[in-house]
Amino acid sequence: MGKRLGEKILEALCLIELKEISVTPPVMNERLQPQSILKDVNIRVHKGEWITVIGRNGSGKSTLAKVTAGLRMAGVKGKQLRNKEILAHGRQIPIVMQQPEASMIGATPWEDVVIMLEQNGEDAATIIERAEQALKLVGMASQMHQSIETLSGGQMQLVAIAGCLAVGSPLLVLDEVTAMLDPEAASFVLNQVRALHQSGITVLWITQKLEELRPGDRIFAVNEGSIVYDGEADGWFSRSDAGATDSLCERLGFEAPYTAQVAWSLESQGIKLRPFPFTAEMLAQAVKRYEQ
Amino acid sequence: MNNDWKLNGVSVSTGGTDKKQLLKDVHMTFKAGQITLLIGRNGAGKSTLLETMAGLRHVDEGAITLGDAPLWLPNRRKQKLNRHVALQYGISLQSSESQWFASTVREELLYSLKPYKVDEESASKRKAKVLAEVGLPLELLERDPWTLSGGQQRRLSLACLLACEPDWLLLDEPTAGLDAVGIRRLCAVLEAHRAAGRGAVVATHDLDALLPLADAVAVVSGGVVREAAAAAAVAQSAAAPQALRALAELRAEAAMPPQVSAPLGSGAPWPAPQEVAAAIAAELHARPRRETEAEAEKLTLTRKELQLADSMPADEIVKELSSAHAGAELLRSDKFDPRALVIVYMMLATSVLAQNSVLEVALSAIISLLLLIPFRKLIRPWMGAIRAYLIMIAIFSFIGGIAFGPLSFDWEKVWPIWIRFSKLLLIMLLGMPMLKLMTPLRLQRAIEQTLGWLKHLKVPIHSFALIVTLIFRFIPLLTGEWERFAKLAHARGKASSSLRTIPISMFHAILIPYVRSILRLAEQMADALEARGFGLASRKPVYGFRLRFSRSDAKLIGIAAIGSLLIFLIAALL
Repeated sequence: MGKRLGEKILEALCLIELKEISVTPPVMNERLQPQSILKDVNIRVHKGEWITVIGRNGSGKSTLAKVTAGLRMAGVKGKQLRNKEILAHGRQIPIVMQQPEASMIGATPWEDVVIMLEQNGEDAATIIERAEQALKLVGMASQMHQSIETLSGGQMQLVAIAGCLAVGSPLLVLDEVTAMLDPEAASFVLNQVRALHQSGITVLWITQKLEELRPGDRIFAVNEGSIVYDGEADGWFSRSDAGATDSLCERLGFEAPYTAQVAWSLESQGIKLRPFPFTAEMLAQAVKRYEQ
Repeated sequence: MNNDWKLNGVSVSTGGTDKKQLLKDVHMTFKAGQITLLIGRNGAGKSTLLETMAGLRHVDEGAITLGDAPLWLPNRRKQKLNRHVALQYGISLQSSESQWFASTVREELLYSLKPYKVDEESASKRKAKVLAEVGLPLELLERDPWTLSGGQQRRLSLACLLACEPDWLLLDEPTAGLDAVGIRRLCAVLEAHRAAGRGAVVATHDLDALLPLADAVAVVSGGVVREAAAAAAVAQSAAAPQALRALAELRAEAAMPPQVSAPLGSGAPWPAPQEVAAAIAAELHARPRRETEAEAEKLTLTRKELQLADSMPADEIVKELSSAHAGAELLRSDKFDPRALVIVYMMLATSVLAQNSVLEVALSAIISLLLLIPFRKLIRPWMGAIRAYLIMIAIFSFIGGIAFGPLSFDWEKVWPIWIRFSKLLLIMLLGMPMLKLMTPLRLQRAIEQTLGWLKHLKVPIHSFALIVTLIFRFIPLLTGEWERFAKLAHARGKASSSLRTIPISMFHAILIPYVRSILRLAEQMADALEARGFGLASRKPVYGFRLRFSRSDAKLIGIAAIGSLLIFLIAALL
């Protein structure tokens, strides 16, 4: 009975469910075989979750983001279930992509968000208020009327994210938004989005950098078009045996965070830290708490 | 053979009238057979330094020599790039992976090899070799470079560099956009390059991956370049490498003995994971003797300092921006209603045009210029054009004044020409700040609010909104892209013609890739906009804000009205 109740709650919290989704874009050239970018993908996105989608170049993670967001694409097969909240949002969920300059069309951050709201056909009376509120949320209030050209790449990404918040998107889909940023801008953007998540926003964070993982994230690992892992970081880093170098992370060719490498090395010396540390803070805490 | 790269007192500044110094008096020697990292925050001048070394930027002062040969040859008035030197290095610019010239990977590699005049047989050998080195399958030779994935394109751009077998590699952010496997391969390539006695200068943020390889580190900060020890360099970089973060955390929690330090001999100024693990294990076994806390405090790199280094840049940026924009209230693009600006412009332009004598034009010039003083900052970018126009007026006036048979100079003929051209100049000057004082969106809104009634006549006035803003967004991209191509032509084609222009011989090779690249830019923009949800709603247009005449608009119109009245009044009195 209790289990069923749990399932029901999860179902109620489920924003999007993808069932047996495959994406095979049609090819123009007859000589080429059509190749599937996604193969038989099953995922559920729950309200309030932070999902980190990791995958190498060309693994299909961007396509997964587009399908999840409901972008119209050729060659999509499978079942897509969206809950009331998503459907109420109606149109597709906005995605922010890698190139910060490409999607800016306003001359100032304020204009950019206002244009986005106007183009979305939102209620005219509240547009200004919502735009300014969203820019405040991402920490761009003081640069609101500054010319777009004077913004850094990271600030442009925050403006784009503000646009998504302003249109009331039930889910933030961020496709490698830090890939083209320098480390300081990248961590600035990541921290801002983490703060937004703390306030209850659901985030689909697509990345190649494992050091962007935080405790509590749900990981979707994508490889050659399939979801090869769906779960918490513990399982992603776990080795079958101390010193076995067979964790999923390693098998898929990802560079593990430095702290994870330290923890693995400790494991082979018989020291098992729990929860498995993959950030500096986690390692320090785990070592501090460790008892033989 | 001495093949060091020497920079002696090199200074570089931006071109144009608004001279800003990018590099200040740089003295550096990059040693052959070493990998040197350039580190520093964004905008510190790392890319500028690389481009200067590669002859893609003119130096104001100082000399660059490679081995014993100068990079720039003295040549009459203009400097000329030393082709012999230029062939000894290869440079990969930031995001050069997205600018391909040829229609297949094979031709792309040949394009890079062209300046080296390699015979066909060794060219095909080299192609196979470099593709293997960067980890691209040979089958890709016939593929269109544009159809490769992002990571593959990055590898191809490295392959193009390596195919030329240059003595020096200059790389700008080579790890950006590469996955872990790609980064490992890049490191292997760099190591092999060094092992062959060749050198590399790499600008990077990715200390985790590249610092372990480096023989030397140079810190670039505010246009100043200096050598640094690897450990000190880390503190200068934007984000501390993961290892140091972990160590700082561990020490702050007194969870690790402080004696673990960088092993001698290896490049990275941090211990390997295994060493840290060993130290932690030792510490854990020795518990509960806790004596390390006092020692931990002595450590140089504590968590606090790291956080400080982290939070600083953001503050600095904010400070810089706010200082740059203080007092610029008047020049903000949303200060005035575009309609007010148009009215003001019409009034002033009419009163200038109505003047007919030299004295009257001079008078209106004085008043117009006085009115323009608060907006002088917005006119500055046009100084070059204004100067050229003034020279043109002088020449025309001079030619107009010459009378033949007998040869003489007739002032009476000069004045009409002078008056006509001066009036045009004044009108142009008055119009210049206008463009910066309104944004495309506000202009569109002004048109909409004034001409909105046109929609009853089935003129689709509201659908111009997006189009107007998009066009204005796209125009700067076109020129920016052309300049990038010019740079690329010099970097890969080793052209020694003057910078910023594309040599005629390369024109045909570049035109089609340029158009393609523009189309791609447009596509990228369309994708990004579609992804953000633009163009989905097909309902009635919504206007989030409407323009309203404000007090500042009234003031502006008032001042302009007084100005033009003065012109008319004084002209009547004269």
